[in-house]
Amino acid sequence: MLLGIDVGGTHTDAVLIDKNGIKSTFKAKTDTKDLFNTIITALKEVISGVNVKEIKNINLSTTLSTNAIIENKLEKTGLFISSGPGINPENFKIGDNTYIIDGSINHRGSEILKLDTSALEKDIKACVKDGIKVFAAVTKFSTRNNMQELQISDSLKNNGDFITMGHLLSSQLSFPRRAATAYYNSAVWRINSNFLISVIDVVKKMGINAPVNILKADGGTIPAEASKSLAVESILSGTAASVMGITALCKITDDAVVLDIGGTTTDIALFASGVPLIEKDGISIGNIPTLVRSLQNRSIGIGGDSVISITKGEVKVGPERKGPSAAEGGTEPTLIDAMNFAGITNHQNKEKSIEAIKSLSEKNKLSPSDIASKSIDFAVKKIKDEIDRLLFDVNQKPVYTVHEMLQGRKIIPKKIYIIGGPAKAFEQVLKGDIKIIVPENHGVANAIGATLAKTTFESELFSDTGKEKMMIPNIGIKEKVSQKYTLKDAEKDLISYTRKYLENLGYRDSDLNIEVVESSSFRMIEGFYSSGNDIRVKCQIKPGVMMNLYK
Amino acid sequence: MLKAKNRLGLIFFPAYDWAISPTHPEREERLLYTQDQLREEGIFDIDGIVELKPDIATEEDVMRSHSCFPDVKSVTTESHMISAGGAIRAARAVLDGEVDKAFALVRPPGHHSMKSVHGNRGFCNINNESIMLEYIREKYNKRKIAIVDTDCHHGDGTQDIFWHDPDVLFISLHQDGRTLYPGSGHLRELGGPNARGKTINIPLPPNTSEEGFIYTIDKMVLPILKDFKPEVIINSAGQDNHYTDPITNMNFTAHGYALLNEKLNPHIAVLEGGYSIQGALPYVNLGIVLAMAGIDYSSVKEPDYNKNYVPQSKDITEYIKQLEEHVLNNYFNPAPDIERAPVGEFTVRRKNIYYDTDGIQESQQEHILICNDCRGVLMIESTASINPPCIGIEIPVNGCKRCQEAGHKLFEQAVKSKEYMTVLLTDRVNKVYKNVTQ
Ligand SMILES: [Zn+2]
Ligand SMILES: [Zn+2]
Repeated sequence: MLLGIDVGGTHTDAVLIDKNGIKSTFKAKTDTKDLFNTIITALKEVISGVNVKEIKNINLSTTLSTNAIIENKLEKTGLFISSGPGINPENFKIGDNTYIIDGSINHRGSEILKLDTSALEKDIKACVKDGIKVFAAVTKFSTRNNMQELQISDSLKNNGDFITMGHLLSSQLSFPRRAATAYYNSAVWRINSNFLISVIDVVKKMGINAPVNILKADGGTIPAEASKSLAVESILSGTAASVMGITALCKITDDAVVLDIGGTTTDIALFASGVPLIEKDGISIGNIPTLVRSLQNRSIGIGGDSVISITKGEVKVGPERKGPSAAEGGTEPTLIDAMNFAGITNHQNKEKSIEAIKSLSEKNKLSPSDIASKSIDFAVKKIKDEIDRLLFDVNQKPVYTVHEMLQGRKIIPKKIYIIGGPAKAFEQVLKGDIKIIVPENHGVANAIGATLAKTTFESELFSDTGKEKMMIPNIGIKEKVSQKYTLKDAEKDLISYTRKYLENLGYRDSDLNIEVVESSSFRMIEGFYSSGNDIRVKCQIKPGVMMNLYK
Repeated sequence: MLKAKNRLGLIFFPAYDWAISPTHPEREERLLYTQDQLREEGIFDIDGIVELKPDIATEEDVMRSHSCFPDVKSVTTESHMISAGGAIRAARAVLDGEVDKAFALVRPPGHHSMKSVHGNRGFCNINNESIMLEYIREKYNKRKIAIVDTDCHHGDGTQDIFWHDPDVLFISLHQDGRTLYPGSGHLRELGGPNARGKTINIPLPPNTSEEGFIYTIDKMVLPILKDFKPEVIINSAGQDNHYTDPITNMNFTAHGYALLNEKLNPHIAVLEGGYSIQGALPYVNLGIVLAMAGIDYSSVKEPDYNKNYVPQSKDITEYIKQLEEHVLNNYFNPAPDIERAPVGEFTVRRKNIYYDTDGIQESQQEHILICNDCRGVLMIESTASINPPCIGIEIPVNGCKRCQEAGHKLFEQAVKSKEYMTVLLTDRVNKVYKNVTQ
């Protein structure tokens, strides 16, 4: 049996799945002040009457770190950046305690300027005096040479509880993203790891002897133990849970759009040939881009509870929510009330909906039926426009070889899958040329996805064979290689080092389907002679589910 | 978060799977480290900077500015069409108002490609800037356009293409042709009989540094641009003036390139040469991107700047000061062309062109009709070591009635004569492109 809990902003869903499908589900209101208690309650309810020894895996999707960041409940964090020539590092300060230390590594990973250790010591003293206990160290091009991050980390060792080094977060280039990601990772470290310790403890006390994994924004999981030092990986995993739920509920083989429609927002995700699309650079928190891998996703302020407003005869829906729909006892009419009025839905108290639309009509020179139909049209257009924009952006994504330029594959969706509370209602209004599918159990798709999501991972190898160097930054590998090191060797090494790393962290063997996704070797020339190869290989475990629920 | 003052479109096409030959400077990883640097700096996350996918240029796009013998397909590969398409995308982005400025970081380069094309010269097959410029004139109803070429090599291809065009101001700053490929770009080259002073060459001495380049921009280029009043300014942004470049002898820097770009303030920049792919390109490109976006670039500096950069000597400063008068005179009071024919007749120019990369020798006779009503119909007879005699006839943008008729007549005569392997007609007025190959 597999158990999953998805803690959302308003609801928390728990699901238990065995080989025959869904065994039990439980839905509760989320107590944002006490997530731990919410989880324990859901856990107890969903496993009541079950032999806990049969539970083989627990996946948990939480909003803990996300909320801490959004609500700015962050621990005071000392961020040390050394940057080198380029954009002024002052631009990358984040929080109130960023220290810029002289030192520089170039794009080939050569140290150009040594770290100013006396400035570093001075700033560390200031941190200690300030009572700062968590730190982040990020240097430019640390994914090509991590020595200066290691140096900073070494100096901080005896002065704090936790330090994030940028190169361990991702192998991807982007100094500003690395700095922001490392900062957040440290700033939520304590609250996240305390929470995980409590969850693991309580699970044990319930007699459940199963690994606990945490859901990530890329639709995969990470073992709770590993997640303690990678708190930032657990942010914004909600949409990913829903998308993975769809892959378990429906057999998707084509290009497709997924709409997750809730009370206030609609999240849009894409599938290419049945595989959810990954955002190439990483997710943004507010307007701050990070290196946290995520599924391609857009969110717009249209949902069942989006309020209807009329200004100068123009009918608008959302982006605000001003309480529940009139049908559910709210004061102002919402999109669901318009659908009730138009006879599309029969949600709760339909009379209240009609009343609310009529009263809005009296204040404006529009008939009630006009208001209802214009509201629905507005919402439909908003969603369709955003789908088009997302498709345009994805299809316009730049490529860097003549081959890809000429082969240019475009994503052309054949179907739209809709999940979430108002899914059925939207199925009717979005109807058109494209096939729309609302899967059974769509109301708990998020929890199903959370339950069945498999491990994901990504790592990248760089080698400069001229310098006899090879490294896999995000798993901390640095090796000497021969000048004859080939692309084949690199691919083999990357997969075997990654596998070893993951097994040590408690990832289970059956999940480790590691595939090479990018692989290149450039012959470097000095003067007119070869000076070795620049080899780059990227591998991943792509998102997937442990079992399918469709027939 | 960083915000660009000017919305900037970047068209980045490094062609990682294309090279002239395995050890040639124009090879696969030329822009690899530039991409690494731009990514590490987070350039593509800056609010106001967008990365755009190149278009693929069409044969018609190429035929507007080139006479390709025997045809476009024979002298180009897909990579050339994408590189030119990258420049076109940059132009579209700016002229459609998507962005304020655009920078096409594309390869292969193009500024050594001339009007007639038999193959590759100076790493170039087709001229990205001229294809873009003609696209702008065709689609956006612009007339006066300036190209400022800041590559270390003389932009002889671009010069050749616009030699007779009074509406295109071409200014080239380069290492003196007496000391570097392609050997041209002297002060006395100042445009054809109908376009005197619209080609301006500024041959700079070897070892010119930041001071000399900025002086040249301030005292020569900017005053000329101010007078010409172009509707669009294009920068052929070659980066081989850098002090680390392996095939040239100049002393320019990343910071200098950024400052130059800021002063020049081009709408569109297109990458040309630059072969110090580790020591210069990542920093020069970063500097140009920041300058175009209106973001502080004062911290952009090569790692070896303090060790290896040498400011220019007094002699060079003096020499450049003396150039100033000649250059300004060439634009403001150009000497008339002594070989100019009377109105209604052709002025003839003979040229021998060597295609260094492909080892092709071409000899040309170029005839331009002296006309009071338009730029004049152009006819190029060309024989190359790989092709028997060919001929290209061009009726210019805004060509007058008489020149249109003359052009069509010349074309028919050439076809009838059976003296040429290929006869091309480029009729820019009626947008007709003909190729008769026997
Ligand atoms: Zn050049
Ligand atoms: Zn004429």
